[in-house]
Amino acid sequence: MKKPQFSQSQKAITALRKTWMTNALFSTGIALLVMIILQTFALGFEFGSFSEWFSVWLSNWINILRNNAGIGIISLGMTLVIISGGIDLAVGSTLVAIGAVLMMLIDSGPKGILQNWGIVGFPAYLIAIVIAVIFGLILGQLTGLLVTKGKLPPFIATLGTMKIFRSVTQHFMQGYTPVVPKPFLNIASLEIGGKLLMPIIYWAVLAVVFYIISTRTAFGRQVIAVGSNERASKLSGIDINKVKRRVYAIMGVLVSVAAVVQVSRIGSMDYANAGSGYEMDAISAVIVGGTSMAGGKGTIIGTVLGTLIIAVMNNLLNLIGVPPFLREAFKGVIVIGAVLLQKKESNS
Amino acid sequence: MNLEMRGICKAFDANVVLKSVDFSLSGGEICALLGENGAGKSTLMNILGGVLPADAGEIKIDGVPVTFHNPAESLHAGIAFIHQELNLINDLAVYENMFIGREIKKKNGLLDAEQMCRETQAVFDRMSLEMDPKTMVRDLDASYKQIVEICRALMMNASIIIMDEPTTSLTGPEIERVFEMMRSLKKQGVGIVFISHKLKEVMEICSRYTILRDGKMVAEGKVADVTTDDLARFMVGHDIRTMALQRARKTPHEVLKVQNLTDKGNFRDISFTARAGEVLGITGLLGDGRSELFLSMIGAGTPYTGQVYFEDKPIRVRNTTQAVNSAIGYLPRNRKENGIIKGLNIVENGSVVTWPKLARFGFIDRQQQNRLFDTQVKNLHIKLENKTDPIGSLSGGNQQKIVLAKWLSTQPRLLILDNPTQGVDVGAKEEIYDIILNLADEGVAIIVLSSEAQEIIRVCDRALVMYHGAIQGEVSGAGMTEHKIMRLATGAS
Repeated sequence: MKKPQFSQSQKAITALRKTWMTNALFSTGIALLVMIILQTFALGFEFGSFSEWFSVWLSNWINILRNNAGIGIISLGMTLVIISGGIDLAVGSTLVAIGAVLMMLIDSGPKGILQNWGIVGFPAYLIAIVIAVIFGLILGQLTGLLVTKGKLPPFIATLGTMKIFRSVTQHFMQGYTPVVPKPFLNIASLEIGGKLLMPIIYWAVLAVVFYIISTRTAFGRQVIAVGSNERASKLSGIDINKVKRRVYAIMGVLVSVAAVVQVSRIGSMDYANAGSGYEMDAISAVIVGGTSMAGGKGTIIGTVLGTLIIAVMNNLLNLIGVPPFLREAFKGVIVIGAVLLQKKESNS
Repeated sequence: MNLEMRGICKAFDANVVLKSVDFSLSGGEICALLGENGAGKSTLMNILGGVLPADAGEIKIDGVPVTFHNPAESLHAGIAFIHQELNLINDLAVYENMFIGREIKKKNGLLDAEQMCRETQAVFDRMSLEMDPKTMVRDLDASYKQIVEICRALMMNASIIIMDEPTTSLTGPEIERVFEMMRSLKKQGVGIVFISHKLKEVMEICSRYTILRDGKMVAEGKVADVTTDDLARFMVGHDIRTMALQRARKTPHEVLKVQNLTDKGNFRDISFTARAGEVLGITGLLGDGRSELFLSMIGAGTPYTGQVYFEDKPIRVRNTTQAVNSAIGYLPRNRKENGIIKGLNIVENGSVVTWPKLARFGFIDRQQQNRLFDTQVKNLHIKLENKTDPIGSLSGGNQQKIVLAKWLSTQPRLLILDNPTQGVDVGAKEEIYDIILNLADEGVAIIVLSSEAQEIIRVCDRALVMYHGAIQGEVSGAGMTEHKIMRLATGAS
């Protein structure tokens, strides 16, 4: 009687192993779950009541999500870029450039552009945001043109624009500190039920939108096709250059959204350091989420999970008191570990 | 040196490639090794070159049995294999290539460039070749690259040199240069195995021939005793047309008319027409330029001069998107590289071309996609379990049918099929032929590119044979025999 039971559990284990091996999302999800359990324990349970514990737990989570909304939004675009077989190293610098344009427009100091044109308040914010998004689109298109018309490897094209965007921004913003008007801060800091949820909402909405784009639209599937087999895609009538240009343009638009969120959350921008390292953080999130650097394989859900894994791990390290300088090392371990795991999956 | 191969057998799983083949070669002779694609030439030479082990049989050199476990052992015994894709490194100088992997070093461990140049020069002098050993390989033309490979073989004291289709990528004068080199080697007592499809060249340079067909040696003898006709017949085995196609000829309108198409080197002065309901074959040997011709025509190849008319209107397709929109379909050769997209599942692979048409506000209408796909699955008899499985889970034949389905879903009025049965088993092959003939009956103009004469005869109403980028001749009806196709494809008229 024992034998069939044994083989049944064996079967369950093989089935589980198979899911683990074949479904990248499954293993990423498990990793996140483990991270969350550890983090919950690290937070501790020494509270007077459940509701007290819950409110601490909740506000900790809101903090995590809010602090990572910017990277989360950028990672969505980075996923498409990497699936298409490219990479964008310039997102941090683009963020600074767009942030600078945005702040010059809405500046409530003497040099404020829109203010000097007599546009203030809500219309000014709307115009500023629209211009920021268009600016992001143009910068993205520029990268796209370098990659398609200029036939530059995306790594090189964006390495170049990364240097150019930040350096030019720093030069022009020298000695000029725009003042962000108070109402503008509401974009990110409007409280809902006493909680600062706005950046999380933007991130969540965009994640859903990008999930739909990548799974349901012709464009989203063409991105996968181009990344998987560029030649076959071309011979199937796909305009591969158009697909690539669009991918970078969308990346630019998402960076503008991140810039709006960042400016309205902090109310200022440090042009030398803001957004620096964002490219690597976004790429890390995308990779941990199971997207292949070789292109053609990856999911938006994976990227969201990947972003969360890194975010929760940071929080965990913080809670258990790992010295700040060591935290980046753990990020490195997670990235390497995730890719080693994915390699095993694709080999099996 | 005398080489004897006796009773060589080789099988890959169930696929028997060589059935007890004999081959011999003496020093100072050039022997042609002939046969159609898949006859077993390369396998035989790979066994001699130590690339593959033989299942049975023996190899004797000067009467002494030998076995080669790897190319190095074969080379050590004096056998050099010059592959069709040359093994030279473009970014190094000639002398560096000559010594790659066995560089001469000075006592201090640095390279002794002067010694290497001297030894290279010595080999060049022996072959009365005027070339500076310090020339970069990238600056050499194709014939000199071939010659550098030969010299490298000589430097390693090779007494037997296997040359696998050395002239495919060479022009007339370049071929003559390589031949001169071969004659000079012959005088010095080196034995050469010359693998080629070009019978005229065989007649010119070789003294003996050995012909393989379906893994068996079917003929051998002195070249002086035979004509190119004889050789072509030996290769094919028969000159009757198998399962000749007898379709009623209508006189429909011209779908495609091509006038004087020429690009920079792949094809020149190509003119022909293709009619609705007709299956037109284009055949030839490797390097005849047929794939390049049609890639250019659909906007995915080199720019061309000349004029293409599609349904009586002049057309110049700039990119593949425009080709699709003009109702021109192109099924490329090499399914793995050009046909299937591994990142997409089965149904997506079968619909990728139609997405722009299926999309409403950018969203793919999945119901319609599935409906169209299911129709194709039924019509093409595609066997699959679940249409959202990865494309790699299907057999080669079914993958090819999916790629075909992708094109049929666009309802093309001109369908170009490049090697449509490549890597497909016999049963699926027949099914694909039936599909092609049915499409033609529905009024689609079909162009089949293939290097298999049997395939051309099986499905085409008439065929153009290309040789070195130009149309060498046309065959149709009863005149469409393997023999005649082979003659035209090897440059005879």
